[in-house]
Amino acid sequence: MKNLKYSEILRLNKELGANLKSSPYKITVLSNIIVHQLKEILEYLLRSEGINADVMIGDYDNVVQDSFKYKDSDLIIIFWELSDIIDGLQYKIELFDDNQLNAILKEKKSEIDLVLNNFKNTSLVLFNKFTSVQFSNLSIRKNNLDKLSDKLNKYLEEQLPVNVNLIDIQKVIVNVGISSSLDLRYYYSSKALYTIEFFKAYAEYIKPFIMSANGKAKKALMLDCDNTIWKGILGEDGFDNIEMSPKTKDGAIFSEIQSIVLSLNKQGILIGLCSKNNPGDVNQVIKSHPDMKLREEHITINKSNWSDKVTNLRQIAKELNIGLDSIVFIDDSSFEVNLIREKLPEITVLQVPERLYYYPKMLRENIGLFYNLSFTAEDKNKTQIYRQQVKRESVKNEFSNIEDYLASLELEMTIYEDDNSIIPRMSQMTQKTNQFNLTTKRYTEGDIRNFIMADDSKVFAFAASDKFGNSGITGLCIANVDWRHKAAEIDTFLMSCRIIGRNIEYSFMDYLMNFLNNDKIESVTSSYIKTNKNEQVKRFYDKCSFSLTKCTDIIRNYKLSLNRYKPKNYKYIKVK
Amino acid sequence: MENRIKNAMAAVFEISKKKISDDSSPDTIKSWDSLKHMNLVVSLEEEFKIQLTDEEIVEMINYQLIKLIIKEKMNK
Repeated sequence: MKNLKYSEILRLNKELGANLKSSPYKITVLSNIIVHQLKEILEYLLRSEGINADVMIGDYDNVVQDSFKYKDSDLIIIFWELSDIIDGLQYKIELFDDNQLNAILKEKKSEIDLVLNNFKNTSLVLFNKFTSVQFSNLSIRKNNLDKLSDKLNKYLEEQLPVNVNLIDIQKVIVNVGISSSLDLRYYYSSKALYTIEFFKAYAEYIKPFIMSANGKAKKALMLDCDNTIWKGILGEDGFDNIEMSPKTKDGAIFSEIQSIVLSLNKQGILIGLCSKNNPGDVNQVIKSHPDMKLREEHITINKSNWSDKVTNLRQIAKELNIGLDSIVFIDDSSFEVNLIREKLPEITVLQVPERLYYYPKMLRENIGLFYNLSFTAEDKNKTQIYRQQVKRESVKNEFSNIEDYLASLELEMTIYEDDNSIIPRMSQMTQKTNQFNLTTKRYTEGDIRNFIMADDSKVFAFAASDKFGNSGITGLCIANVDWRHKAAEIDTFLMSCRIIGRNIEYSFMDYLMNFLNNDKIESVTSSYIKTNKNEQVKRFYDKCSFSLTKCTDIIRNYKLSLNRYKPKNYKYIKVK
Repeated sequence: MENRIKNAMAAVFEISKKKISDDSSPDTIKSWDSLKHMNLVVSLEEEFKIQLTDEEIVEMINYQLIKLIIKEKMNK
């Protein structure tokens, strides 16, 4: 987008908008300055990713008033410009006395409270931190504008609700440069402070939040080896001559790269290798090279062999049970990079820059691809959980019949009912689960909290474990209940892919139907909404004794009279 | 040059290029309000790599004048 002219963005955005059929993702921007140019820029950026964004700009300088009006948006962006909380504050404030300063601070704090309270049930709020840098960047002393900005930000940070994320707009201004960010010509005539260049950078900066909220964050990073995680070619230069030591010029760069990859792994991103090498050679480096930071426990999957990379990457997606579009791949070779871009366009491919010193910068610029709104205990243990999965697969082959195999696993399931303590994980599952997901509705932490608090909805989750280890919280069901008519509707039913194939979903359904039955519910409705990825659960409700009531290309509606439900009663799954 | 100006106007005002004539102004193009005018200025500045002054911005009240002002600016 960086190289597109504004008029081109306007034109392309209109075209994209006409072609997107998915339901709109409603974004409302509240601001006390003119920011209308953000609309098409943000829409275009998100529509290019398949998100049918519909951006609406609130009335000029009506942040508080608008906060009463737009509670139903999927996303609220609050663009509160410090210099305009009072007209001309940037020059007036230096003449204010302490009483006046305190009065402003007090008034702003109460406005912030009011606005955040109005949006307490809104799915996601992005709130720009206050900044004085536009006007005080050359001031040597900390001036009143700086101090007010610090105090307001401190106040925001101290009482931040779960659905609100602070946006460090100052970083965006720094990235663009102050003079390129500001259009002072329009500031004085029309209260429009920022340039197109700024809005482009701002839209890019907040994109990861929106991608994550729409289930589009990347899950795995696959790396080539030679000249991608170390300098040199292992097969030619040999074990002793490849470089990744912080003590040599080029080695330091690869050491930094490996550290960034490790930090991604700590946040739950799956790491794998996909390189043309003798597998034994690569394993030896992983095990015993003194400068190697990425060790066996960090690497979930290792495809070091002589097959072509298209086959390997397809295999990786299959074995990890994730979509190709959840994968980022890094390689130094133009041949491999172009091959994957052409044959597997769903994969995001990054190339090691020719000027090696730009490599860490390039990787940092792309870290947002992996951004996750919720960070959970499951993320910390993910590599381990997926490695257990690979172990299970190998044991599977020892059994001739699947039931015997499942019985040998010692499966256990723990049910959580309306449990506040696992909101982040539950929200995250709605955002990340694509395959075993009946309706694919994405919910933020704020949304999940609303379901838990409401009298007419119930939220169930389960954690699963077996003799190989604990998979953590991996299943979720949200049901809306109409107590008066003794009817329930399943809004969401999903399960993480890593526990598919153990019939746990049926035990979960048994539990839910039993629970509703005990609560005097008589009928349950549900639906399957088709996406590109959830074909495998198309007939899930049929298998759970629901009857099909309506069927189109995209939706299958079901109904069940609870007295007709036939539980599966799998004896080998213990429910706690 | 005329074609490039018309392209920018068409994108900003969301109208067909064919509808733009010398007389085109906020009176004949409904969507031409003050915010869209700002968008037009930015688009023309990007297109011709120029920086318009606030006097010029205020003078650009129809297509004919826009052409004139851009031409002058380019010849400087």
